[in-house]
Amino acid sequence: MADSETTTRSQIVVETRGLKKTYFGKVETPVLHGIDIQVQAGEFIAIIGQSGSGKSTLLNILGALDVPTEGTVLIDGVDIATLSEDDLAALRNRVIGFVFQFHYLLDELSCLENALTPITICKGEASEDEKSYVLALLDRVGLAEQINKHPDAMSGGQNQRCAIIRALANQPKIVLADEPTGNLDSRSGNEVFNIMREMNREKGAAFIMVTHDDRLAQEADRILAIEDGWVHEIDKREHRMKLISSLNDS
Amino acid sequence: MKSSLSWIPLNWRFEARLALRYLMTGGGQTLLTIGSVAAGVIVIVFLTSLIFGIRAKLTKMLTESMPHVTVKVRDLEPVPLSEIQDLDSAMSSSRIEKKAPQLKFIDDWQHAIDTIRTVPNVRMALPAIQGQGFASKGGNPIGVSVTGADPSQQDQVSPVTKDLIAGKYVGLAADEVVIDYELAKDLSVSIGDRIRMTSSTGNTEPLSIAGIYSRGQGRGGAYVTLRTGQSLFGMGNSVNVILVKVNDLFGSDEVADRIQSLLPYEARSWSREYPSFVSSLTVQSASAYLISAFSLIASSFAIASVLIVSVLQKSKQIGILKSIGAKRSQILRVFTLEGLIIALAGSLAGAALGSLLVFLLSLPLQKTARPGHVPDQLFPVAILPVYIFGAVIAAIIATVIAAWFPAKRAASMNPVDVMR
Repeated sequence: MADSETTTRSQIVVETRGLKKTYFGKVETPVLHGIDIQVQAGEFIAIIGQSGSGKSTLLNILGALDVPTEGTVLIDGVDIATLSEDDLAALRNRVIGFVFQFHYLLDELSCLENALTPITICKGEASEDEKSYVLALLDRVGLAEQINKHPDAMSGGQNQRCAIIRALANQPKIVLADEPTGNLDSRSGNEVFNIMREMNREKGAAFIMVTHDDRLAQEADRILAIEDGWVHEIDKREHRMKLISSLNDS
Repeated sequence: MKSSLSWIPLNWRFEARLALRYLMTGGGQTLLTIGSVAAGVIVIVFLTSLIFGIRAKLTKMLTESMPHVTVKVRDLEPVPLSEIQDLDSAMSSSRIEKKAPQLKFIDDWQHAIDTIRTVPNVRMALPAIQGQGFASKGGNPIGVSVTGADPSQQDQVSPVTKDLIAGKYVGLAADEVVIDYELAKDLSVSIGDRIRMTSSTGNTEPLSIAGIYSRGQGRGGAYVTLRTGQSLFGMGNSVNVILVKVNDLFGSDEVADRIQSLLPYEARSWSREYPSFVSSLTVQSASAYLISAFSLIASSFAIASVLIVSVLQKSKQIGILKSIGAKRSQILRVFTLEGLIIALAGSLAGAALGSLLVFLLSLPLQKTARPGHVPDQLFPVAILPVYIFGAVIAAIIATVIAAWFPAKRAASMNPVDVMR
């Protein structure tokens, strides 16, 4: 029992305890009221919720881009509150990969150079091994022909695929995706999602994906819903029934 | 994509590559910033070459025909009687007069010259006779200042040979004289004619004209040999002045002070004879530096504003870079390097264009010239490597400082804010 718990604990890559976030602007705006979640290594989690429910805020805190007002965040077992700014940058570089709604690739760099950015930021230059690893990933998502093209010469779907490979370049334990398909037509969106799911299974990285798309959420291992700053897990079967009934309605 | 930057240390390579890419894809913006650095440097190169060219020309015009330090017997300073006599037993006087000016001799001039030659910065020292006289040819005598000295040495102190219009100076005989063009005109004489020269001490010598010169600066004087000068002014083997040339013009004051401390004579430097000239040169150089500084400041502002806009345009990119692990210092380096590359390209282009401009400006010549001489440059500009180098360094420093502020702003951007 004790052994199995140790094993489980060591496989938790993201954990929050009593996480609260309040924005102190002209008026005090509490966004997250106390979030407790655990994400296991290799899990694919979908976070759903209304606009303004705090999904992106949670994701930013999990990505060490923002700090909680209260509570603890453990990323790969490390309490991020104890880290300096440079340590946080290093954590984001090696442990976490980001995919955003917009690809945010650098126009000045080619597809391959963009995908290698996390490595070059950290080491200055990618080794031959790292390059062939990334090239293989790019080939895997159908970008072999595009490696020397710049973002403005590629389609939205291609750019987003390149952004996913960039997120995976440093072989992170966690990939955070903030509505990665939100800016794509449904066909490209499906492709991008399928790639993420495949990468999740092949590379063993945990994926936490914020999405509006209930259909994509259904494909995840677990679904977390954020409502008014509180989080609760949704039973996938219930979610499936709701999905089918809403499809029948339309 | 790799090999070209392989000489850059690994921990700077990502930053250098990104800065270069930003510049290469920046197009018009990049050219604008490089252009404004270049413009600042062109202004400095042009302005300093013009102002220091004029300064060099004026100084040369003034000092090439005069000794830099003149050593003479000291005038006795007037001293109140009360200081030299016992007041109780003497009359006192409220009227203090200087002794009437008179020719004073430097008897031990060989020793004095040996001493002067030991002073650092001294190029040469020439024993000479200087005095006033009258030149006449039948009609009214005309006042003229007379210099008696060895011609070939005199040519090194106040050149005569190079200003000759006719005849010769070096190889002057004891009964010969070289006179100024204006004086020759007034006396209606030419080469070979004889004139009478009477000195202020009353001695008269008949001299034949061996040469006529013109410096284009109003009426000049008459030049004779040292021997003739000594006999004209009744000085025997003595001289009344030692003319000194120095290597560094603006070190003349120190040379004069040193000579005065070594010898019992008075030594006056050209810069103390013409203090207003020296101060106007100082004002000119001060204004050159001031205008240079303002043009640098103006181009720095231009660069800073273009870079601020560029940082704002790239804020989302900066956000993504930080979110995938770029440190604050790395972002700072990217934009400071961008500024440094702009500074290098702009200042080198500015130095080249500025030098070209100065060169082109040095070509046209004045329409008028002194009789018998090649016309001078219309614009007395000179390419001065020291100032060009200085302008390049100053522009690089100013640009990097101008780039620092937007870079700092970029580095402190919060990815959560800019990517919302």
